[in-house]
Amino acid sequence: MSQTRLRAHRPARPLLYLMPAIALLAIFFLGPILVNSVIAFTDMGVNLRVGQFTLLNFERIVQRDGRIPMVLMTTLIYVGSTLFLFNVGLGALLAMTTTAIPEKLGNFFRGLWLLPRMSPAVLYGMLWIWIADPTPSGLLAQVTIALGLPTVNLRNDYPLMLVVLANGLVGASFAMVILTSSIRSIPAHLANAARVDGASEWGVLRHVVAPALSQPIRFITIYQALSLMTTYEYILLITGGGPVYDSTPYALYIYRRAFENGAYAYGAALALGLMVIGVVITLLQWRLTDMRSTFAAPKIEVL
Amino acid sequence: MTKSLALLATVALAALTGGMAHAEDIRIKLSTLVDKSAPARITNIEAAAEIMNHQFKAAGVDKHIVIESNASAAKGWDDLALENMKAFSVGQGPDLYILPHEWIGKFAEDGNAMAMDAKIASTPWAYGDILPVLWTAAKATDGKIYGIPQDAEIRMFFYNKDMLRKIGKDEAFIESLPAKVESGEFTLDDLTALAKQVVDGKAAQYGMLHRPNVGIDYLMVFQSYGVKFIDEKTGKLIFPKAEMTKALAWYERNARQGVTPVDNTAMSWDTIQNAFKQDKAFLFHQGVWAVAWQLGDKNGATWPTDKDGYFHKIGWIPAPAAEKGGKPANLSHPLLYTVNPKSKYADIAADLIALATLPYFNTEHAVSSYHTAITNGQTAMPKYKENWVLSAASPMMVHAQFVPNQTQFGSYNKVLFNGLQAVETGKMTAKQAVEFIADELGLQFGKDVDIRETASN
Repeated sequence: MSQTRLRAHRPARPLLYLMPAIALLAIFFLGPILVNSVIAFTDMGVNLRVGQFTLLNFERIVQRDGRIPMVLMTTLIYVGSTLFLFNVGLGALLAMTTTAIPEKLGNFFRGLWLLPRMSPAVLYGMLWIWIADPTPSGLLAQVTIALGLPTVNLRNDYPLMLVVLANGLVGASFAMVILTSSIRSIPAHLANAARVDGASEWGVLRHVVAPALSQPIRFITIYQALSLMTTYEYILLITGGGPVYDSTPYALYIYRRAFENGAYAYGAALALGLMVIGVVITLLQWRLTDMRSTFAAPKIEVL
Repeated sequence: MTKSLALLATVALAALTGGMAHAEDIRIKLSTLVDKSAPARITNIEAAAEIMNHQFKAAGVDKHIVIESNASAAKGWDDLALENMKAFSVGQGPDLYILPHEWIGKFAEDGNAMAMDAKIASTPWAYGDILPVLWTAAKATDGKIYGIPQDAEIRMFFYNKDMLRKIGKDEAFIESLPAKVESGEFTLDDLTALAKQVVDGKAAQYGMLHRPNVGIDYLMVFQSYGVKFIDEKTGKLIFPKAEMTKALAWYERNARQGVTPVDNTAMSWDTIQNAFKQDKAFLFHQGVWAVAWQLGDKNGATWPTDKDGYFHKIGWIPAPAAEKGGKPANLSHPLLYTVNPKSKYADIAADLIALATLPYFNTEHAVSSYHTAITNGQTAMPKYKENWVLSAASPMMVHAQFVPNQTQFGSYNKVLFNGLQAVETGKMTAKQAVEFIADELGLQFGKDVDIRETASN
């Protein structure tokens, strides 16, 4: 009696399938965090040698480093203004305006706004240096000279404003793309119904479009706040964090301490601090903006 | 048929390549800073390798030295020193490298620079005639010599005489400047006033330009104001507040009066050099080797290449005294050839340095890059004597001093530069900047830097 026996049910092996992802996480995320945490408790200096394990770096951050309060303030101004004015504000404005005009024109403008994102950071940085150059060859100086205004030296006198502008103009495209798709996913009949009911264009924007954008905006805010807090490449390229420490936010401060001064252990300790700040801010935002609902089923049905 | 042909070809090829068995390659990694006006730092070592390769061949030794040079694009010598320290820490350091002399203490302490005393004693044909003062610059605090002088130089303020003529100064005044600086009659403040006259007279856009990054030029001015960097007795770094306040106040005044642009430290080297070459800046603070791009048609303007033509246009002075009757200050900043003691080929690297130090090779470097001689003998060589730039620079060596070879000097100097940037950009007053520097030094070095009210106490 040949009975085809049902093959025993083999248990799934999630670990096996997850291995590549786990390995990547371990090598590129957990590993560096671990190494950084160890270095933070050493006295590693310019020659990268470890003499002893110590808590001195943390004492220095908390008690002795006179630059820290200013650096934190710079970070707050830089992240806050870039995030709200540009990464969210300008992004939302671009999404709304480019979806309100004819589609081809809208696509063209969005394409333009994506250009800085597509150009290499070094090139983008150099363009800003040229724009801000106070000599007659600078772009801004040419405009001010033509208008008979005094020339301003942005890099020296308003370095923070300059880095906010440079980062904001490149960063607005992220929100623009996401919010454009959100606006597009709003069924047209909702707006039409509102108009039939006598809503003005402003009313449509306020009561139909805006509610659909609030959730993606929450996500963009958390995501971009973290990314602004941890990246500094444009600042390093455009002002170098200077004059002195005037345009040095926390992430760049870590870099300058570690790689300009060769105080690697101190840089590592500062980096641990940034991790703590990042986690705290994310949790706070998660709570305040009710992110849980963002990950719930969408309220608008996509047709 | 074809099979046997293929077989034959294979055998023939194998025999051929077997016969040409390659000599053992001795790969020597050489690290230096990219410097288009001083290629001989590399080519002299390559030429030395060539000599040794000929000798190997003649003696039937199956070895061949290959120089793998890396001309780093680091921002300056200090950044290159940091880069090399990182490489050494992971066992990837070069076999042979060029180091600004003040870093030698740190590299020696870390075991990354080979003590050269025995080599120097056993190689008098190369090292017997080196200027004694340069050996001093190559010594670490333990008194041993860890590097071989690669070149020497002298720093100065270049001033544009044409601009002085433009604002109505007579030849007697223009030509008497160096002597007045020498006697202490013409001070740093006089220099500022003169530069201001040039700018106000619309003869130049900038009164004075200096380096945009960490280096030693500005330390000359600090020295004029009586700043001392080290306590000779204890060997400890010091930071004298009173003298530093005066020195930084000079830079502060220059920027406030429009003599130095407030963003001098944010400018690129190209912008600065082009401005001086294209007659947009009256003073430029640098070393004699800057003549390499001043002569001829580089940097967007053509200047005379002959002695009389050049000195009709440009004059040289050391950093004037801070007060009338004081002494002018001058710094020299020798570079060193240094050997990695852990290198498999440390001895060969040292031999290469010995050959590259011979008067013929060093003079090739000196005359092409406008660096001063490292041996007495070189100054008598026709090629060196014919070089009017170097002959004119030699008398300025009288006041030449060196920055201390203290292990932490390089990092200490970076903090001083931050202070200079702070006053020039108008972010701090000289007094605030001195407190800022003192705070930073305390933070970074703790008790290793002695912060004092004045240099003398």
